[in-house]
Amino acid sequence: MPLDTMSDEPDEVLLVLFANGNASAARALTARLTPRVMGHAYRLLGNHAEAEDVTQEAMLRLWKIAPDWRQGEAKVTTWLYRVVANLCTDLRRRARGVALDSIPEPEDGRASVTDHMQAEARAEALQTALDQLPDRQRQAVVLRHIEGLANPEIAEIMDITTEAVESLTARGKRALTAALAGRQEELGYGDE
Amino acid sequence: MAMSDKDDMPGLEVFFDAARRHAAEPSAALMARIDEDAQAVQALAQRPAPQSTRRSTLSSQLYRLLGGWPAMTGLATAAVAGVWLGISLPEGILDGTSDAAYLVDVAPELAFDLAGGDF
Repeated sequence: MPLDTMSDEPDEVLLVLFANGNASAARALTARLTPRVMGHAYRLLGNHAEAEDVTQEAMLRLWKIAPDWRQGEAKVTTWLYRVVANLCTDLRRRARGVALDSIPEPEDGRASVTDHMQAEARAEALQTALDQLPDRQRQAVVLRHIEGLANPEIAEIMDITTEAVESLTARGKRALTAALAGRQEELGYGDE
Repeated sequence: MAMSDKDDMPGLEVFFDAARRHAAEPSAALMARIDEDAQAVQALAQRPAPQSTRRSTLSSQLYRLLGGWPAMTGLATAAVAGVWLGISLPEGILDGTSDAAYLVDVAPELAFDLAGGDF
């Protein structure tokens, strides 16, 4: 099946085709899922190189589990978000163990931003603030407010209740608001 | 009534929206590596199970035909027992003085009839 005809196929169908040796399914899944996995890994880690490593490993695990994938049990993306979170947690745990002092402090003063870079600067500011959150709060906030998932799916990914998800996102947002309070004017919040 | 996620802290939505529009993009090199991984995993899965390259000899075929090691154990035991009986046969059995002990004609008339009777 050509790649362009696979654009409408669900992830689960493509995964079955992949397990049957279909090369087009592999390319379609790579093109569809890698940017999503990469974006999520970066938001959890705040480091591009580490996010790439996590992305490659998560996708490799997806390829390996494909023949044993059980239809209807979980969405492929749900499974991937979970794997990414676990890999990021492992990576951060190892980093804390060996190089706690080497993690750079967030930049305090930033050069004034031009209008066309404003959104990018906001994204960077948010990432800096996200990096300061506890892992679980960061994961919940990113899944809810950036990936746009519903609380029940987040609960499944994080293996907690929906009430716990709500609690984590609420605390996370309070911390983000506090962290970004001093930068809203600088980053053009008043323009919105 | 609980407020929605967007209502409670409106200032954050600006940042979340910016983050959605500026997601980290995977590099071309990463995409290539992931493609290579996918092909390697597929190639490994499609490869037929390795078959034994050892040629089957006549003796190994016979070995399997007879039933493998359990049958061979029985055959070996029987052979050893046969050798042992051949070596250590009780002397009295072939002793000429004890012929009567085992050459007893229980129906001599029948033997005679069969041998020389009228046909």
